[in-house]
Amino acid sequence: MEQIITIVFTVALVYLLLGLAFYPLFIIKGITQIDPGAKGSSWGFRLIILPGVVLFWPALMRKWIVIRKK
Amino acid sequence: MSVSYTAVGWNRQKKRYDFAIAGFCSLYLLLFIGLTAVTNPDYTFETALIRSTSTLAFLLLHVILAIGPLCRLNSKFLPLLYNRRHLGVTMFFIALIHGGFSLFQFHSLGNVNPFVSLFSSNTQYHSLSQFPFQALGFFALIILLLMAASSHDFWLHNLTPEVWKTLHMLVYIAYLLIVLHVMTGVLQFETHPVFVVLLGAGAAVLVTLHLLAGSREIEKDNARFDTVEEGFHYVCETSDILPNRAKIFCIGVERIAVYRSEDRLYAIHNVCKHQGGPLGEGKIIDGCITCPWHGYQYLPNNGQSPPPFTEKVSTYDIRISGTKVWLHPTPYPEGTERPGVYIGNSI
Repeated sequence: MEQIITIVFTVALVYLLLGLAFYPLFIIKGITQIDPGAKGSSWGFRLIILPGVVLFWPALMRKWIVIRKK
Repeated sequence: MSVSYTAVGWNRQKKRYDFAIAGFCSLYLLLFIGLTAVTNPDYTFETALIRSTSTLAFLLLHVILAIGPLCRLNSKFLPLLYNRRHLGVTMFFIALIHGGFSLFQFHSLGNVNPFVSLFSSNTQYHSLSQFPFQALGFFALIILLLMAASSHDFWLHNLTPEVWKTLHMLVYIAYLLIVLHVMTGVLQFETHPVFVVLLGAGAAVLVTLHLLAGSREIEKDNARFDTVEEGFHYVCETSDILPNRAKIFCIGVERIAVYRSEDRLYAIHNVCKHQGGPLGEGKIIDGCITCPWHGYQYLPNNGQSPPPFTEKVSTYDIRISGTKVWLHPTPYPEGTERPGVYIGNSI
């Protein structure tokens, strides 16, 4: 039981760390490409979406890739 | 509404709302901890904090869940809906303090990872009286985290409104998990029936409000408009629609808002593009149809948000014969210009 729980939490931790690594790249380059509303937005806004980016980064990355391909 | 995102879209009303939330929460926590310190000789600050934040977060969750149906039943509650998002995020942070301190107090003093300890220290999932209730609270907190983290319009646009709405409907799963968390937890540590009575009363109030609001919606949707001429359905008399207000009609599956602006009637789709708010329950402000939920605006003659905003809703044909209002339920593409119909002396 303990082993399974440890594996699940390790996977979750890796997922969140990947999201954290994705954040600066996304904030600098990706955000204005996927959403025009982010152009000229404040750094306060970019900071407030940090938890969301860490949690939902695959959805943002997918959208960014689709837009770049177009 | 804003052209580019800001961290927090504060205005005078939202600041007052937030001050009221902060004041209430501070007062509640101070009173709870103070009274516990005075009345309970076995008091410890950690325990008082864990209990005060748990009860406060649960109370706020009840308020949050009650706001939606209350607004459906009486428009006087709409100001509460306007900034419900901040109430939700506040509730999450209070629940996080509860969860964080509980994890620290009960699981961080051993040599096992606290998160692993949370799930492995008690595995009596088959026992009601010894059920590992903390796991239920953990999963509820994860749902609240996902909701709080996505509580910005940026997420509504980028996760898509459908995904965002589905994600935020998980609040009902979170509520159920918390009810079970409290029930199974209280059963293990408290013998006084007041906790069970309060829990039942809270659930009963929420269920009743949702049933009342739901039945009213169904009643509205089931109204029949069977008098039809050339595709136009007779819906009401011109005098039924007050100046700068609307009436909502459900013909087929679509709800349509018929607005009276100055001396004309206009028909647009009832669902706001922002969070699906009922446009027909709003009013005309500065010549624009204004959503009662978050103030998103649309021009009555074309269903478009005034520039530079880009939201659009469908428009419909409408006509007046004598004093009767007739509505064609076939929508025009979103943002299509429709001139509306002059009311004249037909009232």
